Amino acid sequence: MTRRLDMHGIGKSFFATRALDNVDFTCIAGEVHALVGLNGAGKSTLMKILGGVYQRDEGEILIDGQTVEITAPADAGRHGIAMIHQELSLINELTVAANIFLGREIRRGRTPFLDKAGMARAVRAQLDRFGLSLDPHKPVRELNSGEKQIVEIIRALMSDAWLIVMDEPTSALSEEDKEMLFDFIRRMKAEGIAIIYISHHMPEIFSIAEQVTVMRDGRIVLSERTGETTEDAVIKSMTGAELDQFVKPHKQITGEVVLSVEDLSSPGKYEGVSLDVHAGEIVVLTGLRGCGAPDLAKAVFGLDPDYTGTVRYMGRTLTPGRGPAVAVRQGMGLVTENRDKNGILPPLSVRDNIALPFLEKSVTAGLIDGARVDGIVDKAIRDTSTKTASPAQEIRFLSGGNKQKICFSRWLDEDLKLLILLEPTRGIDVHAKADIYRIIEDLAERGVAILILSYEIDEVLMLGDRVLTLFEGRTVQDYSYPHFDKDRMLADMAGAGHAT
Amino acid sequence: MTMSTAAAPARPRRAMDSLTQRYLVLVGLIVIASVGFGIANENFYSLANIGILLRSIAVLFLVSMGMTFIMLTGGIDLSVGSNVAFAGGVGVIALTATDSAALGFVAAILAGMAIGAINGVFIGRLRLSAFMVTLATFALARGLALVIYDADSINVSNAAFLWLGGQSWGSLPVVIPFVALVFVALSVLLYRAPFGRDVYAAGSNFNTAFVLGRMPQRTLVWVYVLSGALAGLSAIITVGRVSSGQPWTGLYLEFDAITAVILGGTSLFGGRGRLLGTILGVLLYGIIINGLVLTGTNPYLQSLIKGLILLGVVLLDTLVQRRKAQ
Repeated sequence: MTRRLDMHGIGKSFFATRALDNVDFTCIAGEVHALVGLNGAGKSTLMKILGGVYQRDEGEILIDGQTVEITAPADAGRHGIAMIHQELSLINELTVAANIFLGREIRRGRTPFLDKAGMARAVRAQLDRFGLSLDPHKPVRELNSGEKQIVEIIRALMSDAWLIVMDEPTSALSEEDKEMLFDFIRRMKAEGIAIIYISHHMPEIFSIAEQVTVMRDGRIVLSERTGETTEDAVIKSMTGAELDQFVKPHKQITGEVVLSVEDLSSPGKYEGVSLDVHAGEIVVLTGLRGCGAPDLAKAVFGLDPDYTGTVRYMGRTLTPGRGPAVAVRQGMGLVTENRDKNGILPPLSVRDNIALPFLEKSVTAGLIDGARVDGIVDKAIRDTSTKTASPAQEIRFLSGGNKQKICFSRWLDEDLKLLILLEPTRGIDVHAKADIYRIIEDLAERGVAILILSYEIDEVLMLGDRVLTLFEGRTVQDYSYPHFDKDRMLADMAGAGHAT
Repeated sequence: MTMSTAAAPARPRRAMDSLTQRYLVLVGLIVIASVGFGIANENFYSLANIGILLRSIAVLFLVSMGMTFIMLTGGIDLSVGSNVAFAGGVGVIALTATDSAALGFVAAILAGMAIGAINGVFIGRLRLSAFMVTLATFALARGLALVIYDADSINVSNAAFLWLGGQSWGSLPVVIPFVALVFVALSVLLYRAPFGRDVYAAGSNFNTAFVLGRMPQRTLVWVYVLSGALAGLSAIITVGRVSSGQPWTGLYLEFDAITAVILGGTSLFGGRGRLLGTILGVLLYGIIINGLVLTGTNPYLQSLIKGLILLGVVLLDTLVQRRKAQ
């Protein structure tokens, strides 16, 4: 019998906001069901109801045609539903096997001693079943994020889960790890596991999902077999309008050299990288995760003193590791790759989050000129089309895309000369992405030199005036717009031709 | 072309932010406690008692304001009580050696700042745990105080030195308008100066503050130095109140300050809170303790009641936070 989940007429309100309205959702064993929608469309609310985190107001949940009550996360687990979280819930110091058996360890007979070999064998059997080559004895801290997700899924499968919910599983994965994960997903399908796959990534969805469901404003607006719909149709129903595509403006780079990196090396991170960024130019570094580009960008910003070679900025050689305070004073800005870790100041207002780096400019006689700050903040919010109830709103209540826009809007100051962007659109929806691209182009047009690290090839092609591909810390090729060659770039990133 | 269709639904902004609600509750509790103790003991409302109450919590006001800055950065300062004793000792020694009240003041404040600087450098620059560093200086400063005083109190008769802590205008102790002045000055520093923004930034996300070039390492050093300076001022007031320097003064002061700050709604995790809350927290805490004395509650029970207050507030705050997170 094929197992199935049916959610019927699910409704949920938070105070006055209708988060879900009469939602029907079905998932069948052996299939991947992609759930898409912009931030705030109701995907997470629906999944939290399924996972027992929220209680539904209306509707019913059926598993194999039987009504079930899911009032706590433990209920979901008992019914074989497993949520794989972006914030991974593994213990770094324990091994793969120990994590998988956490809380239900096998003992040797009746003794209090753990049967480590037995547990490792059981885990190995599962890994083999899915063609995975992880070592059960390896501590989890040595795994990359793709492998960690696999461990979480295996843990769920070994507790008899038949329905796996994955929320943006590829957002932090390298191309290689993505392939490994997709392979694993295909094998799970073959084994009769049902998968709900939340993602913004159209190509991924169309390559692995059988069914795609789009949510908007708490309702289902489209639910089709992937074979019977198109990426365009899905995107259109997500936004409810023709997607306002970002088109790169034509331009001539005539500005002076703002940043000049010469033969920069740091052992184990990058080797002999040279590049120039002119005023108004967008230079993109790309490669696979581990290509060394983020380390290089951080060295330029003064975060890492351990390098050889020279970094010249506005004609002057920079001191290694001079720290961000000096960098900001010199007119450099940085948007980090991890908003929540070092991008936002969570309990503070949108206003404080925006005004901080250039606060001194609004100070007279030692005191902050509030009206001036308000002016700067209002303009920044407008220019980046950030959606916030008010500048006094705490930033943590904003969606990912709006948080990211705030990370940008801090750097709109007219004295900014160089902006370094690490994965500028990581984990944000298509709509916010187009806005972010526009902000980047606007800055470039104003004459800001821009250095971007991106792992998304489409983004690289769309933004770059020049693109440098990196492989294991070395520059492979330097491309100038419009002479971009996507296939060659991908080959560069994968190290093709580097095989020794 | 602007995009308007995909607006993430903005959360309805609550009519009143949670801190303001908190302050109204505190004011309500202060009124209830005052009425309650007023009924239990008619002396509670005498001008004399109010003077005694305010004077007895003047030091707590100062130290708690410093503690607020520190807790806004996500830190804690366990050394304040010992620092009051140490700074008082240095001040009194300087005073007796030179017979100059001014030098005594300066010495006390500098001594307080020195302990603060030690805390600040270890916590801010070397990124050691605030709890551990100030636990160490808690013992260290008390030890220094005992050495300076040779474990005995020193009487002080210099009128100028005693003025701030001991003088009253009618039944209004001089120290009360002084505390109000410090409150105003610190409010300007916290809300109107860039330093204040950096305090909040360091507490809400140290890494972000660092990447934005705000030098949170330096901010942390200064908040501990500020706390030390306030401990130095408190030392002067303490000496003035009892006309002598005592090596065991300020015992449990860090406990009282932390409780008052938490009571005032400042988050244990940094980045959230206001000085006004601390003022209300100190008032409520002070009224309860003073009321317990006036109603003749067994003094041995006081510590127990203090402990219950702290546990209760932390429990309540955590439960409320968890409900919100749901």
